[in-house]
Amino acid sequence: MKRAILFVPLLALIFLAAAWPGESRAVPVFARKYGFNCTMCHSAFPRLNDFGSRYRENGYRLPGRENEERTVLQGPAPFAARTGAGYDSDKFKNAPEPVGDVSQFRLQGLDLLSGGLLGSKIGYFMVYPPRISESRGVVGQDGTLEMASAVFARLAGSSWLNVRAGRFEPAYAAFSVKRHLTVSPYEIYDYTFPDGIPFSETQSGVEVFGLGGKGLHYAAGVLEGAESNLSDDSPADYYARVSMVFGPGEGQTAGHRVSLIGYQGKARHLPVEAPATLRESYTRYGLDASLNFGRVNLALQYLAAKDDKGFWTGATSDPTYSGGFAEVLFQPRTDLVAFARYDRVSPPDEAPEESLSRYTAGARYYFEDQVALHAEYSSRKVSLREAGVPDATEKFFTVRLDFAF
Amino acid sequence: MRRQILVTLSAALLLAAAAGQPGLRAEGGFLANGALPAVPVPPDNPQTDAKVRLGAQLYFDTRLSADGTISCATCHSPDTGWANHHPTDTGIRGQVGGRNSGTILDSAYMKYQFWDGRAGSLEEQALGPIHNPIEMGETLENVVRKLDAIPGYRAQFREVFGTGVNTEGIAKAIAAFERTVVSGPSPYDRYLAGERDAMSAAAVRGMKVFNGKAHCTSCHGGPAFSDQSFHNLGVGLKKANPDLGRENHTKHAEDRGRFKTPGLRNVALTYPYLHDGSAKTLMDVIEVYDRGGEANPDLDPLLLPLRLTAREKADLVAFMEALTGTLPAIGKPALPEDAKPGDAAPQGGAR
Repeated sequence: MKRAILFVPLLALIFLAAAWPGESRAVPVFARKYGFNCTMCHSAFPRLNDFGSRYRENGYRLPGRENEERTVLQGPAPFAARTGAGYDSDKFKNAPEPVGDVSQFRLQGLDLLSGGLLGSKIGYFMVYPPRISESRGVVGQDGTLEMASAVFARLAGSSWLNVRAGRFEPAYAAFSVKRHLTVSPYEIYDYTFPDGIPFSETQSGVEVFGLGGKGLHYAAGVLEGAESNLSDDSPADYYARVSMVFGPGEGQTAGHRVSLIGYQGKARHLPVEAPATLRESYTRYGLDASLNFGRVNLALQYLAAKDDKGFWTGATSDPTYSGGFAEVLFQPRTDLVAFARYDRVSPPDEAPEESLSRYTAGARYYFEDQVALHAEYSSRKVSLREAGVPDATEKFFTVRLDFAF
Repeated sequence: MRRQILVTLSAALLLAAAAGQPGLRAEGGFLANGALPAVPVPPDNPQTDAKVRLGAQLYFDTRLSADGTISCATCHSPDTGWANHHPTDTGIRGQVGGRNSGTILDSAYMKYQFWDGRAGSLEEQALGPIHNPIEMGETLENVVRKLDAIPGYRAQFREVFGTGVNTEGIAKAIAAFERTVVSGPSPYDRYLAGERDAMSAAAVRGMKVFNGKAHCTSCHGGPAFSDQSFHNLGVGLKKANPDLGRENHTKHAEDRGRFKTPGLRNVALTYPYLHDGSAKTLMDVIEVYDRGGEANPDLDPLLLPLRLTAREKADLVAFMEALTGTLPAIGKPALPEDAKPGDAAPQGGAR
């Protein structure tokens, strides 16, 4: 019986892979608007190339062709969808809290996307994952608005001044979690104090950003911040990022980009009912780089953190921790990309875990620009401080079709 | 188990629906490379057979040049794709120009003429080379006088415009002729029309690269494969006295190094390429784009390194070769003979 469960969907996947048409037709929202193929903006969907990066930073307008752009009312319906389906295996060992193993074919959720121009200088982008109930064979999702932001581009006629407002991916996360190639998360982006702010999540706020001459980029913003803040707590999280790009390109697929980030936030620590005056501060700062050598991209991220002791139970001084990752992408052909990454986090002394590491490797093969067969293996290990407690491990494997239309 | 199978098969059906029938980016989107529409004709210069005949004669007539050696067709010859194969052209008295001759083929679809776009119509363009000192080197007054002395031209101007020979009529007649120098359907057009074997597999792959990874369509978009605009590729800007392109015409610093985006229909016929003819082959042009143009402070923001593979470059060439349409069957017409002793004298020339 179990063999049959595996066999039928696998057969469907193989059939689809073999029967896939020789040309692509359905394309997501921006490609459809212009009549472009996805590879105009994506080195390997969903990862942006330099062109796509410039397009995004230019408020979803083609650089240099702003005067010819069309708004959402002048083009095709600005809607697209992204989903995936495949086989997941997730095996846990010695987990501190009981976690069920996974071994099943699953529909990997669904994102509904919309984007375009509301006016000649106002772009927008929206991602809504509709509510889907978790069930066997289906990955559930909450149905919250993941992203909805407007971009006011080239204010005062200069690329130095652009504003993004709403709910968006702030610039402090150098490597977009929404557009990266791996399923496995960037550990350091997710590591934070209880109810803190994972860098992997979108945030509500305002960001000012700009592109200067000679490869200088900057971004700065104010955000709602951690979930432990209450609704009457005024926004008190600020961040800034400065990047330099060396060589031609944007550092995505050509040239080299090196950046510094700093983040200062305030949040309530548990219990959140404490008076707002007891909001404590936390800081993040780091360095990242995206280096390109021919068909190889090397992504490096280092983040350090210092939290007020109030965020960590039992802390007598302000805890500090750090971590990062190194990721290599190798794209020998446009339709094939391989990736490997090492993640490491050194938690604060007050955390129950002593270290956290993850190895990830995999590849994506593109039947079409927007249809990828994704295979990935990831091994995560958490070493605990408590003497005699074995390391908690997770072995994750997936093979799935990832596609947008 | 039933549920699992249902879910996976639903996903499979969804995928199949998304794939649909084979199609093209070119069929939709406002920058798509669709089929050429009817030739646009300005209301103040309607096409007539007589005018086109007159324009053809003027186009091929070397008597429009100062020394009687150069005609429009010298640099824009039907034998060489209505352009020529020299990097830059040689005008009267062996003078060499600084720019490559653009093709006349399908120039009727271009909003601007000349590499720097200094002419906004074919009518404006037509007179330019005549009085360019390097090209045909003749004054417009002399041209009018010379043509007015030729009975055949005199009669035709009277028939077509109801006037004697004048510069406006010369420009309009040549422009009207050039509007007939239009290519017919290319393999690409036939492919668009549903003839799926009209293009080779390499050309079909190249079409995807053209419209995707190579970013070509962001400038070479639209039916004529041109955005009818100007871009700085940085080519030739490191020379001692660089050609500043459109800036020479507009005097605006932001136009420094910008040149017109040429249409790409029939591009395989019109080598060499770029405004200075510095790229001998299509592959040479692709190499320029693959490295993201030539670095300079005003480099167009659309230009970025492409990281094309050897196969993708070859496929791009195959695609551009598939843009070669059927060529108009136009040869050199019989030209009016010079006046003979006893012919009627000119009636007064330009009006």
